[in-house]
This record gives sequence, C-alpha cells and structure tokens, in this order.
Amino acid sequence: MSSPDRAGALPLVGPSEDRIDGPAKVAGAALYPSDVHLPRLAHAALVRSTIASGRIRRIGTEAAGQAPGVVAVITHTNAPRLARGPTGQRFMRGPVGQLVLMTALHRHSVGQLMMTTPSPVSPLQDDRILHYGQPVAVVVAESGEQAVAAARLVEVEYDPDPEPPLLELDDPRAEVLTNPWMLDMARGNVGAGLAAAEVRIDASYATPDETNNPLGLFATVAAWDGDRLIVHDATQWPYGVRETLARVFELPEDHVRVLAPFVGGAFGAGLRAWPHVILAAVAARLVGRPVKLGLTRAEMFTSVGHRPRTRQRVRLGATRRGELVAIDHEATSSTAREDDNVELVAFGAAKAYACPNVATHDRQVRLHIPCPGFMRAPGEAQGNFALESAMDELAYALGLDPLELRRRNDAAVEPQSGLPWSSRGLHECYRQGAERFGWSRRSPEPRSMRDGRMLVGFGMAEVAFQFFQGPCAARASIDRDGRAYVRSAATDIGTGTRTVMTRLSADLLGLSVGRVRFELGDTELPMAPWAGGSGLTGALGAAVHQACMRLVQCFLDLVKNDDESPLKGCTLEQVTTAGGRIVRADHPARGEAFGDILARHGLEELSADGESGTPAAMLVQGIVSSAARFGRVVPAVARKMGARAPAPAFAVKFVEVHVDPDLGTVRVTRVVSAVDAGRILNEKLARSQILGGTVGGIGMALLEETLTDPGTGRIANATLGDYLIPVNADVPEMDVIFVGEPDPLTPIGTKGVGEIGLVG
Amino acid sequence: RLATMSRDPPRHPPTLAVSLRVNGAPREVELDARVTLLDALRDHLGLTGTKKGCDQGTCGACTVLLDGRRVLSCLTLAATCDGRDVETIEGLSADGHLHPLQSAFASCDALQCGYCTPGQIMSAVALLREGRAGSDAEIREYMSGNLCRCGAYAGIVAAIREVAAATASEGGGDARL
Repeated sequence: MSSPDRAGALPLVGPSEDRIDGPAKVAGAALYPSDVHLPRLAHAALVRSTIASGRIRRIGTEAAGQAPGVVAVITHTNAPRLARGPTGQRFMRGPVGQLVLMTALHRHSVGQLMMTTPSPVSPLQDDRILHYGQPVAVVVAESGEQAVAAARLVEVEYDPDPEPPLLELDDPRAEVLTNPWMLDMARGNVGAGLAAAEVRIDASYATPDETNNPLGLFATVAAWDGDRLIVHDATQWPYGVRETLARVFELPEDHVRVLAPFVGGAFGAGLRAWPHVILAAVAARLVGRPVKLGLTRAEMFTSVGHRPRTRQRVRLGATRRGELVAIDHEATSSTAREDDNVELVAFGAAKAYACPNVATHDRQVRLHIPCPGFMRAPGEAQGNFALESAMDELAYALGLDPLELRRRNDAAVEPQSGLPWSSRGLHECYRQGAERFGWSRRSPEPRSMRDGRMLVGFGMAEVAFQFFQGPCAARASIDRDGRAYVRSAATDIGTGTRTVMTRLSADLLGLSVGRVRFELGDTELPMAPWAGGSGLTGALGAAVHQACMRLVQCFLDLVKNDDESPLKGCTLEQVTTAGGRIVRADHPARGEAFGDILARHGLEELSADGESGTPAAMLVQGIVSSAARFGRVVPAVARKMGARAPAPAFAVKFVEVHVDPDLGTVRVTRVVSAVDAGRILNEKLARSQILGGTVGGIGMALLEETLTDPGTGRIANATLGDYLIPVNADVPEMDVIFVGEPDPLTPIGTKGVGEIGLVG
Repeated sequence: RLATMSRDPPRHPPTLAVSLRVNGAPREVELDARVTLLDALRDHLGLTGTKKGCDQGTCGACTVLLDGRRVLSCLTLAATCDGRDVETIEGLSADGHLHPLQSAFASCDALQCGYCTPGQIMSAVALLREGRAGSDAEIREYMSGNLCRCGAYAGIVAAIREVAAATASEGGGDARL
C-alpha cells in the first residue's frame, strides 16, 4: 500500500478539481466569523489613540455611557488586569537564545519556534500610548450603530511625549536591534571577496510599509460560558489564538475554543492573536453576553500588522565573466516599541547563488508604530526585490543577459551547507519560462523595444522560497456507512486546504470524494500549525497521510484472526484500497468494505491519529549551516553520510511592461511564472495561488504604500480608495508553468505554493 | 458648532418601519435610521451572504441589485429603500440551483477566500444584463469596482466570458440572467 516514500511515484501535477467549498462560497452560504450571530449578541466598537506616543491624561466616558443602547465603556481604568501571552521569539536573542535554538533544533520544533511571533501586549492595561491607533477604549452596545455613535462620545485627553514620536528608520534616537533572531548568515570572507572583485555593485533600496488588507474585515465573536470561552475569529492559526487567550485569561487551554471554518483572506495578518481578539473576550466577560467586535477598514491598517518598510544595501562582487565572488546584504526594517515581529529580509541572500563569500545582516528599529506582522512572503518579498535588482545592475555593468548571469551563478548545491539539494527544478524554470515568454526576443539596449507609442521592457527575477513546516496532527475515522471523516484544526484561508486534503484522504482510503468529509478550523480538532510559511499543505498532508495509513492498519488489526475476512492476516504492504474497500494487492477481487468489517465486529466507527513534524533533513541542514561558519568539517561529514538539503520552492518570473514615454506610467502587460514547488496536488488551485501571489506582487511593485503622517504617526491613506490594491483592469495575461519533481524529503512531495507567486 | 452637536447624545434615536421586497419576498423591518441596507440585510434579515469589506464604498463586496441596478449597500441607507426591490446573492440560487454565473465562478476558480465573491457575482449579473461583457477588456474595466485581494481576477474574467458566450450562443438564453 502507498507509504510516505511513495511520493516520488506520484505524478508531479495532480488533477484540476473544483474547490470543494466553491458552491457554498458562490451561494453566499459560507459562514465567516463576521457572519456569526448569537442570542443576546452585543456589539463593540473601538476608540483609538490619536497620538503616537505619550500618556492618557483623562478619559471621559460619561456621555458615552449614557448614550442610547450602551452596555459598557471599557478603558484602562476599569479593564481587568490581564496576563501577557507567550512571547516565544524573545528567547531567540543573545547567547542563551543560541542555546535555546540549538536545543529546539534537536527537539524538532525549530519551524514553530523560529517563526512564531509573540502574543500582543495585552490591551488597556495602563495609560501609555505607543502608537497611533492603539485601542484606548471599547464601547459595547445593543447595536453596531449605537456602539459606533457612542464611541465618538468618549473624550480622551492626552499628554503627548515632549519628544516627537519615533517614526523614521533613520531616527538616531531609536533603538536598533542587530541580528535580532541570531540568523545572520556568513560564509567565507565577504570583505576580502569584495576587495578582490573585478566588478562591484553597491546599491541601496527602499521598500515602503504595505498593509495586508484582506477583503474580509477581521472580526471576533466571543462568548463565555462560566470560565469557558468560545471565540469565532478570523485567524490563520486557531491553536495560536487559543494559547494566547488561555494565557491572557489564565485558563487551561482546553477551556478556550477557537473557531475559524472560513476566513475572508488574511495574507499573514491572521498569524497571531491581536489586541482586538483579547478585547472582544474582555468585553464579553464584563457584560456577561456574547460580543462581536468587527474592525473597520481604517482599523485594519493599525490593528492586525503590516509589511514593515525596509532600507537595504546590497553589495555584489564579481569577475568580468560574471561569476559572483561576494554578496553582502544589509537590511533594516521597522518594528514596534514594545512588541515583536519576525522579518527575515536579508537572510534569503545566503542560499540564492553559488558564491564563496556571503554575509547577510538583518536589523530592526523600534518605532512608535503599530506592530508589523507577516504579510505574504514576509521579508523574502522585500529582500529578494533588492538582491535581484542588484543582480540586474550587475548584468548591465557586465553587458550580460540577466538570465545568463543567473545561470552562471547557479547554486548546484545548497550554498550555505554545501549539501546537495533534495530537488532542484530551477534550470527547468529558466528554460521553460524563457521559452514560453519569448525571452530571446529581448533587446538589451534601453528604450529599444516599442509597441506603438509605448516603450516595452522585459524583466526577470528568480527566487528560492523556503517554506516552514511545523508539527501537525490529524485524525481519520470511518463509520459503518463507509463514510470517512478527517479532522484537523488547520484553516483554509482560500488556499484550497479543504479541497486538497479531501482528495488526498479519499485517494488514500479508496473512497470517492463525496464519501469523505474534511473538517477544519476548530481547536476541538487535532492540533495544526498555522496556514502560513507555505508549509501547511506539507505538514497537514503528512499528518493526514499517516492517519489514513494507520486507519487502514486498524482495520487489518481487527480482521487479523477473522476467519470470515478475505483480509485475514494481511499486512499493510499486502493490501490496497479502492471503491470503499480494502482489497488484497495480489488479488483485487478479494477484499471487503470498511462498513462490513465494522458491522461484523459490532463497531460503529474506527479512528486513527497521524502526526508530522519538521522534516529531519531541515534540522540537519540547519545545524550544518550553522556549523559551516566554523569550518568545513561538519558539512563534509554530513555530505559523506548522504545528507541532503531540503530544497525550497524555486521560481523564475518573466514580466513585460509598457511604459508611457510621456507620462512615465507603467503597465504590466504579460507575466510568465515558472515554478518548481515540488508535487502539485491540484493544478487548478495551485495555479490560482501563483496567479493570486502575482497580483499581490504587481500591487507591491506598482501601487501599494501605507503612508504615515510624519508628525503624528497617523496612517494617512487608511481606506481602499487611497491605499490602492490591484483591480481587475490592472491585471494582465498571466501564465503559470509547473516544473521539477515531487520533493523526496517531504512526505507527500510538496514544497508550497502559497507565497512564492508574490516574489520576483 | 458641529463638534458640539456630535457630543450631545441623542436621547431618542428615530426608528423607522421599512418595507422591502428582498429576493422577491416582502419583508418588514423596524430599523434605527442609521442602519445601512448592508446591515439591514446582514443583521436584521439574516442574509449574511452580502459582505462588508470596507463600509466606505470602495471595495464592492456589498454589491446588491436595487430595482435591478447594482448599488453599494454599505452606502445606501435602508430607510431610502422603502418599497423597493432588493436582489442579493441568496436570491440567485433560491430555487436550489446555482445561477449560471455562480456555477461558472466555481468551475473557473474565480475565487479563493470567497469573501468578495457574492459582490463580484452580483456585479457580474448586472454587467451581463447591461451588455457590458463584449470583450475581456470590457469585462475587466466594468468589474474593476469589485476588489479581490486573493487576486482571482483571471478566473473572474474567464467565468463571466464563459457565461456571456453561452448566453450569446443561446440567443438571449437563460431568462434568469
């Protein structure tokens, strides 16, 4: 029977099947957190600070409290004292952090620990203001209209800090965190490499703040039942929200239930609990009723994270033939004064190219801003933009085709550890992408290509996108009717998790898709990591795979000594599943249905659990990479022992733009994405992920910028009429090619498609 | 003077009786005068298929048809809809069968998270009725008031093109369009 290592035998690209929840979504029948209605539901509205740094001198709630329909006005003066949620990544700092990291590596939880952002600072605990838009009061009323109207009646007087707020990356007063996650990479001697280079590029880049802006306004509906809390929340990580709420309210984790069966997009904004989630639960507890707290669009700019701005410097050294001899990538990004986020901007440069001397430096600057958070391809999107732009500068300086420059610096092995890649389809990306796009028609001379009045430009960029796979669990059950239920607390934020996991379960159990129900988005279900880091499909797929295999094994155990069963004494290797039955591999006519086995043994249902962890190879590579800076001994030993570096997903993007020579306006007219993301479970849905990421990338490149008022820290364009995201007419013809092979180091061969489409 | 007024809490917020015809059925609701058509549908009539994406008239997620014309229900006060016809996403498949556009959206993968989808489809219904689906460029232009952050635009154009072509070849075709 199929086992995890059979992944290599499966086709690279799976069938194109329709989204299983498509009919519910097109009918308006899918229930998002903001759609939840409960008996006696009260509505909450936030009052937010209008200064960026200082203290609340006085907060007047009398008028608001007397307004029609108001049930409660909550401020720091009457809010309950709250504990702080887990602050995971702070352990990562300093020498102790290194030790914790190494321990974590061995405990197979590095993916989780490295990428876990902390819980937010608990809201309404004191009079201090740390950013514009910080919640300073919550008004709870019978209706949403009453809550919003009363919120305007709350009178807040401030004592702004005498010093102006810290709002700029180059403000000399701001605290700078150097190497905040101990993940600056180094190999060789980058200074010597640059000094010896025949050609040098020294380029600076800046990227602005950008805001996730999922169309679904985040909303939380919180309801208490004694000391048990149920929360409907727009999150990508129900277990993460549960952990935060349990710590904040000092409850056992199983007293908190978080539900997120449908989420109206998030793009990283749902990868941690935010203050408004805590406030909804505070409000519900104080008024003794369920409370809905829905964010406004303006609040989506200050309450659920954003992509932080960066300043970057990339120095490249190369020979005249175009062989890189040095890469030095420095990146500075913004973070909050008293909260933390992980944004690895320069980190990715270390694995991009074969180059003997490399150094990456990540820094953060603490500012009076809303805490940044993950936004689709965090760090990588900004860092790769700078590195690839510098590569184009180098190609121009050398008079070399940009694609040829990248080919000459191909990393045949993982460059930091020296281990061979587990899979590498980048060459196919180059070849097939260039052919489909017609790259050979490119003329390198500036302003030499035209289409009528328009100037035409061709460009390309490559990316190696590292996915992060956290530990995951799933449970598979089959009942007497031969129906399967597969369950895990993962979320489907539009990626297609529900669809591909239903298909995977059906294939493994030999059932039609209609006989399988995949349930997710509920912390009553087995633990799942977040829908983030492009790693959920791999993690969940592996757990589902194991659960289904073990379930079949449970049925075989049941009939081990069963004289009536044609499967008596069979091992897992001797059977296969098809048509709702377990059958003998050597004699497919001999077998029996799941339901029949259960009935004969007087059972209603049989269940089995599956788990997956961070692939061991990922840990080995992490250790080898860390050790590589101290010498080549460890990498050499690891190579000899047959270790391989888990490959990231690779992609090359080819883009055509039209530039109006008079107005300077840029329109993207064509995009070809060639992607090696390992095994593709469902071509239609994976293609949608790449196309959607590409649209996000067009937005990032041409349209998006969150503007902060320099004096006050106010977001000056906090509407979708002022913060522009791509509309239908902005989006050109786009083509996607999947190449490569199923990755042998991940259990089901996938490498992740959620974010790589945005980068390039 | 305005600021002073806004700080004077209204003691008796006016409520109004509003009669709507929603997806063909008469509905009577007693509403706070401030309630938008969007919130009336969602919070008072239990029709949560229509979505709130901005509450500022900039994203199109709340698009419904009012007397056959597409409107942004977040910018429409419910009280102004007294006696008028409202069509929402729920009305398109009231008979249990998906509308051709709904089926095409599903089969063309014209959605991901699905949050903007009801508004996209209601706009597309009006677009076809208005005869604005003559080319991909025309579809893109006239659908540009409906934002999709997942970036499912290619599928949205494909779905509308498919239904427009089927309608054209049937010479007027589906009466429900």
